[in-house]
Amino acid sequence: MGLRLIPVSFFTLIGDMKGRLFSSGIEHKKARWGWIFIIPSLVFFSLFSFYPILNALYTSLFRKKLLSLAPPRFIGFDNYVYLLQSPDFWNSIRATVVFTLGTFVPIVVFSLMLALFIMSRKRFQKFFQMAYYSPAVLSSVVVAAIWLLMLDPRGLANQWVNFILNTPGIDHKWLANSTMVQISTMMVYFWKYVGYFTIIFLVGLGSIPKSIHEAARTDGATGWTDFLYITLPLLKPTTVLVSIMSMLQCLKTFSTQYLFTQGGAPMEPINVITLNLYYTTIRDRNIGLASAMSIILFCMMLFFTWLQFKTSRSEEVHY
Amino acid sequence: MAAVQNVQIRGSPLLKRDLAVAKYRKRTKKWISTQSLIIDIFIWAFLIIAAAYILAPFVFMFTASAMPAGDITKMPYRWIPKGFYWQNYWQGIRGNDGSFIYLRNILNSLIVASAVTATTVFLSALAGFGLAKYQFKGRHLVFMMILATLMIPFEVIMIPLYLIIMKLGFQDSYLGLITPFLVSAFGIFLMRQYFLSFPDAMLDAARIDGASEPMIFRKIILPNSIPAIATLAILTFKSQWDNLLWPLLVAQTEEMKTIPLYIVRFTAEKHTDEGAMMAVAAIASIPILILFLILSKYFIGGAVVFTGKKG
Repeated sequence: MGLRLIPVSFFTLIGDMKGRLFSSGIEHKKARWGWIFIIPSLVFFSLFSFYPILNALYTSLFRKKLLSLAPPRFIGFDNYVYLLQSPDFWNSIRATVVFTLGTFVPIVVFSLMLALFIMSRKRFQKFFQMAYYSPAVLSSVVVAAIWLLMLDPRGLANQWVNFILNTPGIDHKWLANSTMVQISTMMVYFWKYVGYFTIIFLVGLGSIPKSIHEAARTDGATGWTDFLYITLPLLKPTTVLVSIMSMLQCLKTFSTQYLFTQGGAPMEPINVITLNLYYTTIRDRNIGLASAMSIILFCMMLFFTWLQFKTSRSEEVHY
Repeated sequence: MAAVQNVQIRGSPLLKRDLAVAKYRKRTKKWISTQSLIIDIFIWAFLIIAAAYILAPFVFMFTASAMPAGDITKMPYRWIPKGFYWQNYWQGIRGNDGSFIYLRNILNSLIVASAVTATTVFLSALAGFGLAKYQFKGRHLVFMMILATLMIPFEVIMIPLYLIIMKLGFQDSYLGLITPFLVSAFGIFLMRQYFLSFPDAMLDAARIDGASEPMIFRKIILPNSIPAIATLAILTFKSQWDNLLWPLLVAQTEEMKTIPLYIVRFTAEKHTDEGAMMAVAAIASIPILILFLILSKYFIGGAVVFTGKKG
């Protein structure tokens, strides 16, 4: 939502500035207080948001090592060239993209389903909302620790899956097999966030006026057609919001992968960009390279956000 | 609707065709009701299974934290512990090396999360108030700039932030852990939205009575924005309680580490048994879960701020 405001308001701003240039008196005094209230935050953001992002961009053009006595050397785009030729980094991009797609698509689908189902119930709405939301309250490290135990060869995950598939005694190698460990991280993330997005969908569903549904019913819509032609199109803004938010969340994933690798899972299949970024900074101390990595991550996020907006812009719905 | 149709059918002459129609309607109605019953059962089953899937790991954490390690890995898993195995909690708090560093780490988490929450709430309310209730040049530009920072993910600016903190000499200190989170763009956005609907008349009345602008903020704005403040405070506290990446960079000594770092270290240690691991996780989760149960309204309210709709 915020994104869409930016271009519009930038132009209204210019008009706004012209209009207020010559105000004085009590308004002027008030305006001064407005500034005083904002300045602490503004200074903070300049120092700890805008400067760092520019600095990351700048540092990415240098060969720079942490704690090294050698002065940073300007190397142009060599860091980017190196990264784009490095199989290790491509593996990270692959891991991140696979994780993101494999997580946010099920999240969007299932949270929508859960929200619709909750909405259709007359009782226990509050209970289901609370229950589904509760994992989002836990810290991600705790979540990863719980699942680490449940995914243990002798843990609950094997017992359940074997019970459902009727295959007693089989170890599904949740944390050992390179495909399974990716699925495991997705599952953990899905578990943590599906309820959070269910809540957002519920608010979206609640804001569709009842009169529209009633009108559709009068015209002969049944549950399914009502959903397909009324609910779904009207829910589009919420769906876009949820998919962007969940996708950005997935692209930034770190804790689960970090704790899993610390707990003995193989690194390579789940070496997402943030994990790679962390190790490049802390272990290799190569902050020039790490900065380039973070800028690429940033560009990926911007690209995916733009893509989602573009694909969702096709038909706007107002009600 | 249905009643009206029935009356019509009953009232009309009993032609053969009408009878057939009525019979057909009755049959389809019956079919639809069995169909809707099946759908009903399906939806209930789906919701309940989903709830079980969501809640089972919680139950697992708490039950496993009360069991000796041998019982946890026993197949099939016994959901009810035989007794309460306190040794897990003791081992978790004591640590494998007997240093009791977890207590210190909990304290650190409390200090950092509280300090960040206090400054974020205060500065966000201040800036949100300034943006919502004062007309001044460049107001929109400032607001847009603040919204733009929402687009900058922390992971991307983490390294420059780390360099700044090192340069300031804040590494491995509370200041280092707190400084990058003094105020949040999200917080300003939330507070501004809240203050926009605040009646101007109230502020003007206070001004006529001679209140200064800071006094208005302190005496009128702050006491009247408890719901927004509570939402922001809870979300901020929670996100700091959860923070892993930044303390991982800044906190080097065990004394300065926070709960998530302790959990990671404790999990990775060889001598850790499963029960103690879950005890540590349970200790970290209990405060936030209690907060959630009491104040779920604010937790859930915070989730939907960006939808721009009233939840």
